[in-house]
Amino acid sequence: MILPEKGDPVIVQGITGKYGSLHAGLMKQYGTNVAAGVTPGKAGETVVGVKVYDGVADAVRATGARSSVIFVPAPRFLAAAEEALNAGIKLVVAITEHVPIRDELQVVELARSLGATVIGPNTPGVILPSKLLKLGIMPVTSFRPGRIALFSRSGTLMYEIAHQLSTSGFGQAIALGIGGDPINGSTMVEWFEWARARDDVSAVVAVGEIGGDSEERLAQYITETRFPKPVFAYVAGRAAPREKRMGHAGAIIYGNYGTAESKIAAFRSAGVKVAMTPTEIPALLSANLRK
Amino acid sequence: MRLFEYQGKDLLRRYGVPTPVSVTVRGPEEVDAALEKVGLPVVIKSQVLAGGRGKAGGVVVAKTMEEAREAASRIMELRIGGEKPSALLLEKATPHGEEMYLSVTLDRGKRCFVVIGGRLGGVDVESMQGKVIEPVPIGGLGRPLAEPMAAEMGLTGEQGEQLVSIAMDLERLSREEECELVEVNPLAMAEDGTLVALDSKVILDDNALFRHPEFSQLPPEDPLEGEASKEGFAFVRLEGDLAVVGNGAGLVLSTLDLVTDAGGRPACFLDLGGGSQRERVEAALRVVKRLPNARNVLVNIFGGITRASDVAEGLKNVVGEGGMQPVFARLSGAEEERARAILEGTPVKLYETAQEAVRAAVSAA
Repeated sequence: MILPEKGDPVIVQGITGKYGSLHAGLMKQYGTNVAAGVTPGKAGETVVGVKVYDGVADAVRATGARSSVIFVPAPRFLAAAEEALNAGIKLVVAITEHVPIRDELQVVELARSLGATVIGPNTPGVILPSKLLKLGIMPVTSFRPGRIALFSRSGTLMYEIAHQLSTSGFGQAIALGIGGDPINGSTMVEWFEWARARDDVSAVVAVGEIGGDSEERLAQYITETRFPKPVFAYVAGRAAPREKRMGHAGAIIYGNYGTAESKIAAFRSAGVKVAMTPTEIPALLSANLRK
Repeated sequence: MRLFEYQGKDLLRRYGVPTPVSVTVRGPEEVDAALEKVGLPVVIKSQVLAGGRGKAGGVVVAKTMEEAREAASRIMELRIGGEKPSALLLEKATPHGEEMYLSVTLDRGKRCFVVIGGRLGGVDVESMQGKVIEPVPIGGLGRPLAEPMAAEMGLTGEQGEQLVSIAMDLERLSREEECELVEVNPLAMAEDGTLVALDSKVILDDNALFRHPEFSQLPPEDPLEGEASKEGFAFVRLEGDLAVVGNGAGLVLSTLDLVTDAGGRPACFLDLGGGSQRERVEAALRVVKRLPNARNVLVNIFGGITRASDVAEGLKNVVGEGGMQPVFARLSGAEEERARAILEGTPVKLYETAQEAVRAAVSAA
């Protein structure tokens, strides 16, 4: 888990697209050093004041960047991520939605073999409010500097919950979207492991949803490793029907696999405080933490 | 996308997995011709995606032509889980002994595909005892992995060899057609000792359909859901009377929970997606307008990149076209003030918090 520090160069793949250029500009505005952009065939152009290169290797050579935020459309995601990883990028933030499962699996495997970290795909990215650093698309107004680590499978719920935390005096050291797909480049457990060792994090909030078993795995990790910091959680989808994909590719219950009930029960048995609505989270923190 | 049994079996056959002789018919008038090819006794199977098909009377064995005609007419009209079949599968009955289980599925925790085999088919895989699970490398399931699997399942000799070959065929199908799940349950041991796939459940990876144009031609399970995916938003039809619209899958899921907790019943899940433009908001609201069971509409927007004012413009336009159900909305975030001004004088009711909007919408129902 290698996150950039303030001022570290970051590149944006797909920077000449509508979405890529909008968010490259917003990231810069917040304080991220967007040092270069990449779009094949567009070398020499400048977008939001950022120089564009044909390939990631060129951009890395020119800037020394070790992080890349990817905005390319799903059919081109695999090639873009492979190009980044093979050019020495150690942190890929994959904003791209609708990536095929088998492409995600290939990227996970390549990243693992190269010791790189992938956030997403289908993620709003990561924001470090105390460093004024964001690699992603989240609206910065929801976030305030502080000591909470917020990890979420959903984007808008992350914004909403961050907003609630911020207005109640609980700022965030980090807020990160795991991604809404069945396969995540990095998992809840891996990010908890990161948060465990951080002196600037005093509590963790996990936002889960129906589908898969990442919450159950997280609960098991918390119990087995005696996770030393207070953990709070919210799980969306108690009212969701079975066998229906609810917006996110990963948000689907098969039989009894992936229900909110199972996740909430797992969290509770691991000693995690579970909120029943997003607005309950700040009160739950207030009752259990000093600000 | 989930395939019907007959579509799944066509795929199984194409990849060399043994299946009984069968013919798909679209109506009772095609039954006689189909029986000539299939023979008697025949199993007549309703082609619906809903579960519990056998218990609901959607699978019938017929011994004579008359029985077959009568059963076909009846099943064609039988709704299962609210779903009427678009076709029937007429399949040669396969007298068999043991029923086994075999599937290739995504293991989300391990982040790889796995082959799952078991000797006790016919039951739910979760509750299945003594199942064997083999992770599949990205390159595919080779013989060196399939053989120990058959042995672990206690299948030796000719049957072990058959299982190895079926497992490898299923895995190749799953990989080449990019399926999330390929399941054969039951995989039956016919009286002559051969293994035969008696049912099929195939779920395609929707995100990979652009590489498989033959599947993207298939009609969507629900016409409104198909229209929604073309317009770029996610829509799931539900059974209640309050349409739930929002931006972001997690936020809409959470809004469904709030509605249900307040005693309401959602009529749909509609996620506008991130960075919603006015046009998409309008297309989405027009889908809601045509949803017959929706008597009221709840809109919950947490605007960040999505501007509340864009949503408000879209709302105003669609409400202005007439025929829109009463709308209860919470529009927070970027350009909230402008959104308020835009909606002034329209029948759209605005609330400060999601809870307030939910309460009002539920009590209106």
